[in-house]
Amino acid sequence: MTISAPQLQIKGAVAGYTPAQQILKGVDIAAAPGKITVVLGPNGTGKSTLLKLVAGFVKASEGDVLLNGKNLNALPVHERLGEGIGLLPQGRSAFPDLTVEENIELGGWSLRSDRKRLREAVEAMFVRYPHLEKLRDRRAGTLSGGQQRAVEIARMLVSNPSVLLIDEPSVGLSPIVATQVYKELVELRDEGRTILLVDQDVRAAIKISDYVYVLTSGKNDIQGDRTAFEGDLGSIVRGWLGV
Amino acid sequence: MGAQVLTVIIDGLLLGLIYAGIGLGLSLILGVMGVVNVAHSAFIMLGSYFAYELFRRAGIDPIISAALALPVFFLLGSVVYRTLITRVEFTGPTQGLIAMFGLMVLIENLGVIVWTTDARALTTHYTNTSFAIGPAVVAWVKVLAGGLALALIGAAWVFLHYTLTGRAIRAIGQDRDAAAVLGINVHQLLTILFGLGIACAGVAGVLLGMIYPFSPGGQVFWLAWAFLVVVLGGLGSVANTLVAGLVVGIIQTFAGAFVPFEFVYLILYTLLAVILIVRREGLTSVARRSI
Repeated sequence: MTISAPQLQIKGAVAGYTPAQQILKGVDIAAAPGKITVVLGPNGTGKSTLLKLVAGFVKASEGDVLLNGKNLNALPVHERLGEGIGLLPQGRSAFPDLTVEENIELGGWSLRSDRKRLREAVEAMFVRYPHLEKLRDRRAGTLSGGQQRAVEIARMLVSNPSVLLIDEPSVGLSPIVATQVYKELVELRDEGRTILLVDQDVRAAIKISDYVYVLTSGKNDIQGDRTAFEGDLGSIVRGWLGV
Repeated sequence: MGAQVLTVIIDGLLLGLIYAGIGLGLSLILGVMGVVNVAHSAFIMLGSYFAYELFRRAGIDPIISAALALPVFFLLGSVVYRTLITRVEFTGPTQGLIAMFGLMVLIENLGVIVWTTDARALTTHYTNTSFAIGPAVVAWVKVLAGGLALALIGAAWVFLHYTLTGRAIRAIGQDRDAAAVLGINVHQLLTILFGLGIACAGVAGVLLGMIYPFSPGGQVFWLAWAFLVVVLGGLGSVANTLVAGLVVGIIQTFAGAFVPFEFVYLILYTLLAVILIVRREGLTSVARRSI
């Protein structure tokens, strides 16, 4: 399967949770089609806020979010999936009291008018992630962290989004499961999807990246392709810590 | 003695079904939205008067009125959500509570203006009829009202557990942002949920009106009853609300039959206090907001 993915651009974004406290202070990001674009930076620099801006939870007081040139600023959260934008939030977001199948089925909410297509999309996820098949009727809240993450990824993919916003995908996971999650992100990229990844795990994120942005205090700091960062991880992190 | 015990059990179960109906709408709204709808009982009162007016003016049987109350109160609840709740939903619990309290006072006083403070009753041809189950005597009106309450609870259960929209509403109660990301229009579904909660209140009002006299000022009593059921059952579970309603119904009828009347409420509220102290999450084993 190859996706024809759009380019995601954030231009001069100023945004925050209150008008008096802007987290993003004029950020420019371009996530290329079919590439993994990683955003790094110290805690509190606005990485998650950036994804919330693209997902629609935070409004830009200045600047634009553009998808293939189309301005998304006024689009409410629930309409962004219709533009092909999927979000994997930070931490646990599987619905704990719903079964695995019910969770995944809700991922296809936008397909609900065509029940046959919805069923096919749900079943395709059980084919893609066969280890979820035997957990189909288990409540998501009873699963391990890694299993829940798999449910969340499957749920995100049911409607086949072309742009994936991934927020700290390995938080709370064992190293083995985290490795599998990063491997899955590479596969999703290879399918042609545009991926904007925000991560604290600098080494793992850079390893799978095509292009890297570093934010500091809500502003662009440095940027470049993976090779520019791979050899110099230590100095990047020391720079964040100010040592 | 045996006949009395059997009668009390049957009476308690039937009343319990109605009490579960009273608590259901409150539990759903509180469980999913986190809104403490203290105006719930005002809508229960409106439900009683809805059936009263249809019966008085057009001779419509309360059983039919219960069915009619569903769409009417659903619409009313939807309008309240869109015009009032959306303005206070994210302003913190205090503002929401005050807004709902204001709505309760408004509805109650409109009730006094329209119907005065006099108590009214729905007296149909089956109001004072009964039948025997073995040695027990059962009032037809309680069987009908209890049956309708069970149908209401069952319909809510089926809707929330076996339809995609119902599951989406449950998902919103568990993680609103995660639901929105999936393309679910949260406000649209919360409009449906609030409408459903108020529809439950309206139908419960019709059912209560079939059994008990009602007046605008008397609605607060049912608010306490609804909270009793919700607290006993734990937040937001249809099944647990049903169990809690049945427990309250059984305890009330047993206490009413075997101890002086003035002790009935003392027993019920002592039970509530004990449960809150010993088991704060109610009768359920898990403390969480979900349905």
